[in-house]
Amino acid sequence: MDRVNLRSVNPRNVLVVVAAVAGCVAPFVMGDLTFLMRMLLAAIVVTGLSLLMGYAGQASLGQGAFVAVGAVTVAVGTTRWGLPPLLVLVAAPLVAGAFAALVGVPLLRLRGHYLAFGTLALLLMVQTAMSTFDFLGGAFGISGIPAFGVGGSVFTDQRPYVLLALGLLALVLFVTHRIVDSRFGRGIRALAGSETAAESAGVPVMRGKLVIFALSAMYAGLAGGLSAFFTPYVSPDSFPALESFTYVIMAVVGGLGTLWGGVVGAVLVSTLLQVLNLVSSQPQLPPTLGPILQYATYGGLLVLALLFMPRGVVPAVQSAVTRADSRRGRAGRT
Amino acid sequence: MTELVAYLISGIALGSSFALIGSGFVVVHRVTRVVNFAQGSVAIVGGMTSATLLDGLLPHGLGEIAAVLLCGVVGLVIGLLAIGRRGTPPLISLIVTLGASMLVSAAIIWLWGQDPVAPPGLGGSVTILGAEVERQRLLVVVATGVAFAALALFFSRSYLGKGLTASASNPFAARMVGIDVRKMGLLAFGLAGILGGLAGVLIAPSNPLSFYSDLPLVLSGFAAAVFGGLTSPLRTLFGGLCLGVAGQLTAGYLNGSYQTEMALLLMLVIMIIRSRAFVQEEVK
Repeated sequence: MDRVNLRSVNPRNVLVVVAAVAGCVAPFVMGDLTFLMRMLLAAIVVTGLSLLMGYAGQASLGQGAFVAVGAVTVAVGTTRWGLPPLLVLVAAPLVAGAFAALVGVPLLRLRGHYLAFGTLALLLMVQTAMSTFDFLGGAFGISGIPAFGVGGSVFTDQRPYVLLALGLLALVLFVTHRIVDSRFGRGIRALAGSETAAESAGVPVMRGKLVIFALSAMYAGLAGGLSAFFTPYVSPDSFPALESFTYVIMAVVGGLGTLWGGVVGAVLVSTLLQVLNLVSSQPQLPPTLGPILQYATYGGLLVLALLFMPRGVVPAVQSAVTRADSRRGRAGRT
Repeated sequence: MTELVAYLISGIALGSSFALIGSGFVVVHRVTRVVNFAQGSVAIVGGMTSATLLDGLLPHGLGEIAAVLLCGVVGLVIGLLAIGRRGTPPLISLIVTLGASMLVSAAIIWLWGQDPVAPPGLGGSVTILGAEVERQRLLVVVATGVAFAALALFFSRSYLGKGLTASASNPFAARMVGIDVRKMGLLAFGLAGILGGLAGVLIAPSNPLSFYSDLPLVLSGFAAAVFGGLTSPLRTLFGGLCLGVAGQLTAGYLNGSYQTEMALLLMLVIMIIRSRAFVQEEVK
């Protein structure tokens, strides 16, 4: 009796509930929430990147460009124009998405390696624009971004930011889920396989790629906007290329083209880096150990994940669960 | 006038080094369709190794050659990671080489620290048409010319080079006539390592390198290779020279900090204009 009941529960739903509970409890038991906040923001960005890379088959090595646009939107909107925080936080993903749609028209004519390098070039040019124009912060960046708040209530400590990030991550996952399961989503998956075949089957290839590109940029812009409120400081150095590479690592480790891959990748990679950070910051160790471990971990993770778990953690676990299920099913029948 | 000549000459010297790194991209991409992101890191290893070897261990000449050969080995190892597993799609291989470049960066910080290193080069400078040019920069131009000539001879005249070209133009037919395409791919990675190492050894005396130089080197080399559609060494040389001269003119007459952006912008424009041709190449 018991076994039948247990099996009728979808293990995926159990995992989702566990993740949600863990996410809601963590902000109340952890001391310093900076690590948790960074992880959640990365998860939002990587969910979009995983959508772009996994479903639409387009690689971006410069996703940080859109994070930067979102952050600059918030910084300029609040400090230069004195706009209300809620308005600029809503504007951050919209501006980032519009920017992506604009640059996407020429950029998405590129594919494969060319697009990967094109997006990386875009990131470096966004950085230059930020440090060149004083309006966007100049070399010193924009500091003094006010705390986030709606109406009279203002965020005074880290916890409400983390809860807001959690809520936004849930929203991002929901939107992604709806898009992937739609007619449009199936068209996108088709064009990742073969653009020519998808085009002849009536999928609007360019528009589809542009929409997904803009959507992933919106997620990145949202994360950037929130991080600007949290930090509260935005400068060209806040978005190094290495950070954009980290997003790619997280997406690959978690599993491209899966809904939860971005979250799982962000959690695993961030946690691993945090642990290594703690280890390498022991006072008796040399100071170069930190960067050595960081680079070695990034590189090692990428190479090992791609060679031994090329589809990522989430699909690997899924297929293991399915295999175990079918084995149990067979055992039950005999 | 003197100013212009100086900018042109330093642009040609700079462009030569771009072209050398770009030629590494071309050699690997021709044969394997993979873009090797670790090409810049290999150049840094070359520069750093030659600095260590020339510091009392080996005389000039031998030290540089040993450093370049070591880079060939590093390139081969990267190749094993990137294409050693059968059926890895090229875009995934690109990300593997990104991982490899990070591993190389970790090794560089471990062995040489985080500060820029410059091996001793040719000292002094000469005057050409009234413009003063460092002798090391002239050496870069000459060595690049020799390397590209050797590369052209290798691809068109030698048995091995023809095997590489055959694997590049039609892997299936190459396999039919008994060429081990995978071995040719690994060979291409090793050759690219040698070219990257040569670039690093030549650049480092006048532009000290650190693990941080990785990204600028990769981007400028890739930009040069884009001129040649990632397949033509000769057009890569032309592309590198264009980028170098355009960069130096930008730095000289506009603003030094826009030099990289100029190169990136040129790269983007060329890529987008030629995107239709790239697609046709992929279909072939």
